[in-house]
Amino acid sequence: GFGGNGGQDYVVFDRSTEGFSKGTLDRSTAAKLKLEHFYKVTLDQARERNDRRNELEKKLEKEDISDERKNRQLQSLGRKESSFLRLRRTRLGLEDFVTVKVIGKGAFGEVRLVQKADTGKIYAMKTLRKADMFKKDQLAHVKAERDVLAESDSPWVVQLFYSFQDASYLYLIMEFLPGGDLMTMLIKYDTFSEDVTRFYIAECVLAIEAIHKLNFIHRDIKPDNILIDKDGHIKLSDFGLSTGFHRTHDSAYYQRLLDGSLNTSSGHRQLGSEANINLTLSSKDRIATWKKNRRALAYSTVGTPDYIAPEIFLQQGYGQECDWWSLGAIMFECLVGYPPFCSENAHETYRKIINWRDQLYFPDDVHLGPEAENLIRRLICAPEQRLGRHGAEEIKVHPFFAGVDWDTIRNIEAPFVPNLKSITDTSYFPTDDLDKIPEQPQTIEYNQKDLAFVGYTFKRFDVLTRKNAL
Amino acid sequence: MNWLGKKNNQRSRTRTTPISRPLFLSKPFIDASLVEGSFKKIVVLPKYVDVDEWLAVNVFEFFNYLNMFYGTVTDFCTPVNCPAMSTGTGFEPYTWTDQNQKKNKLPAPTYIDYVMTWAQNLINDENVFPTKAGRDFPKDFQQTVRMIFKQCFRVFAHIYYQHYEQVLHLREEKHFNSLFAHFISFAKEFNLLPDKKELAPLEELITHMENNGRIS
Ligand SMILES: Nc1ncnc2c1ncn2[C@@H]1O[C@H](COP(=O)(O)OP(=O)(O)OP(=O)(O)O)[C@@H](O)[C@H]1O
Repeated sequence: GFGGNGGQDYVVFDRSTEGFSKGTLDRSTAAKLKLEHFYKVTLDQARERNDRRNELEKKLEKEDISDERKNRQLQSLGRKESSFLRLRRTRLGLEDFVTVKVIGKGAFGEVRLVQKADTGKIYAMKTLRKADMFKKDQLAHVKAERDVLAESDSPWVVQLFYSFQDASYLYLIMEFLPGGDLMTMLIKYDTFSEDVTRFYIAECVLAIEAIHKLNFIHRDIKPDNILIDKDGHIKLSDFGLSTGFHRTHDSAYYQRLLDGSLNTSSGHRQLGSEANINLTLSSKDRIATWKKNRRALAYSTVGTPDYIAPEIFLQQGYGQECDWWSLGAIMFECLVGYPPFCSENAHETYRKIINWRDQLYFPDDVHLGPEAENLIRRLICAPEQRLGRHGAEEIKVHPFFAGVDWDTIRNIEAPFVPNLKSITDTSYFPTDDLDKIPEQPQTIEYNQKDLAFVGYTFKRFDVLTRKNAL
Repeated sequence: MNWLGKKNNQRSRTRTTPISRPLFLSKPFIDASLVEGSFKKIVVLPKYVDVDEWLAVNVFEFFNYLNMFYGTVTDFCTPVNCPAMSTGTGFEPYTWTDQNQKKNKLPAPTYIDYVMTWAQNLINDENVFPTKAGRDFPKDFQQTVRMIFKQCFRVFAHIYYQHYEQVLHLREEKHFNSLFAHFISFAKEFNLLPDKKELAPLEELITHMENNGRIS
């Protein structure tokens, strides 16, 4: 109850949500969270807007140009800011994008090449099925991916322009990288020369360094997540959504895997049971077996464990150095044709990774330069000894990278430059495998728990206006 | 004119019984706030930015959040509980003017449903609130914004007077107070609630918020 108490109008109010419907309580929680998020974003945006103006005003002060020209530049900034405000009222939705083609598949949805209906601009649209993600506790991870992609201005990270949601899916509108991914490239070429490997691994070093500088550990670096831009240079995609990330946070899952109880029933996980891999097979045969199963692995909801550092699934805590292990595994695959611990099933792969000391084996029929082998061994090793644990610098000075100009590598000509016939050319994507996926995401009624996606809608100022992206 | 009589009744009753202050004017709730400090920083027109664009995005947000918070008390805002769009004792319930300029006394949920639908339709109207690149705002845009603000204010007032208990049960008072302080700060900055009489039901709250610096 309540009541005034004299001059001090201080009241005691007994709060209780008894008699409130579940729907009301959910709506209330949502409203509060959304408003908190709104004020956070509004304050951030006010500050950023201020910074942009101050920066331009300061810059113009120093410049020796007429007041009229200065004024024109300030007015132009004002117009950009105004159009950004307009964008906040604009609700982009699925209907604003036309699918050109399905180009990729992940654990929780697909990636499509899309065209924005009014501007004709091209993007990659990643869909994530909400229902699946709830089942798999992916929420925090969705947010993680969004935040990292959003904050980064880095040329090494795929740019996210816009995100929205409907009852069934979350949608990420990103820049389209027409060159496909490193997995597809490895399937095509079997192995790379040391020079080509040096290029991709060096770029990966810079990319991983960039995300570590954002205070982020990727944890799931694998060839599927290394995308190729129109000039043949790489960018990292996929933060926190991948099944790898899921595994890293689910100790029960690991336990089951280590017990061997997970993969027996899962058809996905069998790496071709009819073709047992063992050491008597030549590397060529091994590559063939690996490749035959590789894409199915990428599409499966459990993903491939081949690149994950042992400390991650031993659950003893891990740091940024786990990404350098993954890089070592990718480098091995580039030179040898399959990753170092690949096996016929996930259980076996886990077992081998944990026993990496006895299991890391360089095949006799593949010739590796001593620097290359040494670098791999310095990456695929105990975390306390791993190169890179004190920063990317120690990797950059390794003799394998002798001659690499780290400052300009993104500007030099890449070993494979995609030969593109149009802005919607998808010839670098294995789209034949994906023809069963419908053109448009199939939206169904699903309105529970939308709450978890509060704050999901994201619009990026600079890319949207400076680069005129949408 | 039944309701006039009722109003007089209520007035006389408040004289005989000890006046209990509305909850939202009582401590500690009157001081509850989600956002510390003044709203000045986020209401002033950013330099070089188009004023209509600034009004539009802000109306859009205020409307959406008010709608969201009203959505948390709709179970209690029924024709039985709220037969009129009333605020506090001593203030006449709001009437809804229909197309024939007839003033209608409507139950609060019906009134608010009309208001929200009307505002939503305006905000979604590409001719009134353009979203496509290159489209301009209509000449009478600021007039429209004032009308929306006036109706939003009434919804705030109704919730403060008739549904604040629910706001408290749901622990929304910090949020609701800040939304209101922000709304009034914005309205003052751009003179969007020019009619002082309209503000009367929440004048005491506004003055309090001005005094402690939350309304700029
Ligand atoms: N921005 C992009 N441009 C071009 N292709 C892309 C883009 N993003 C993803 N792809 C393609 O789609 C494939 C799947 O994308 P991604 O790995 O992000 O999905 P995912 O759901 O995270 O998969 P998983 O969870 O298995 O890692 C990529 O391997 C790549 O071929």
